[in-house]
Amino acid sequence: MNQQELNEKLKDIAAKVISIDTPAANRIYMPCESENIRDICRFLFADVGARFVIATGIDSDDCFEIIYHFSYDQTGCVINVKAYIRDRENPEVESITPLIPGAEWIEREMHDLLGIGFRNHPRLERLILADDWPDGVYPLRKDAKL
Amino acid sequence: MNWKMWSLKKSPWVFHVNAGACNNCDIEVVDCLTPKFDVERFGIKLVGSPRHADALLVTGCVTRQIAPRLKEAYLQTSKPCVVFALGACACGTGIFCSGYHVVGPVDKIIKEADPNAIIAYVPGCPPKPEAMISGVVKALAAI
Repeated sequence: MNQQELNEKLKDIAAKVISIDTPAANRIYMPCESENIRDICRFLFADVGARFVIATGIDSDDCFEIIYHFSYDQTGCVINVKAYIRDRENPEVESITPLIPGAEWIEREMHDLLGIGFRNHPRLERLILADDWPDGVYPLRKDAKL
Repeated sequence: MNWKMWSLKKSPWVFHVNAGACNNCDIEVVDCLTPKFDVERFGIKLVGSPRHADALLVTGCVTRQIAPRLKEAYLQTSKPCVVFALGACACGTGIFCSGYHVVGPVDKIIKEADPNAIIAYVPGCPPKPEAMISGVVKALAAI
């Protein structure tokens, strides 16, 4: 698939995302709501054949955001899917680890540092904080008192 | 000078503790052992257990997870012993001073275990092997 065909292929998922932006020739940016993230990641990983690189968790102004970074190596195109998690009190999103095992540790890290819950994650345990770190204290949240 | 001090100064065996370092100081410690600097000619040798060591080389800003383990390593080291805080992080936590996971610096944690511990500081990011050798010479001359 060349870049043109990739752009066409991504229109199949247009109903699940808010918009498909191309800020540069080799960069595609897709904001979406967190309910659709599992379908979008399954589409990109299984149907398009993009490689999952990493995910980024952000404590934003009025919501949490997770940006899933995918790379389509044939054309060197990077696809960023930004999921908005609107519920600040009890942030939760569907885990993509059952689809992509490589996402297990980054989801555990986001759970540690930001307190985002991942539904259907096989092993959502503490990964990088100290063993004696108090429960319910998330150091990378903006309102964290440390 | 009693024989314990004499043997400590004659050939200080060192145990290397990484207490949350970025590995840069650790690479410089390994550099000291390469043929160019070759600290083994002074009898300084890296050993695999704190019980065999006369000195602890501590690198890193001491994270919350490693602090009790660093204390335990210090308590297991045969006395008398010298603690070397190697690098800017170990001397004063450096750029990580306000990190949520940092409880150091090294001297604070060691003094919680033993208030009379002998601590030598080698600043630098990372300290040059020459600076480390100079620090060891100065510390051994002072005790």
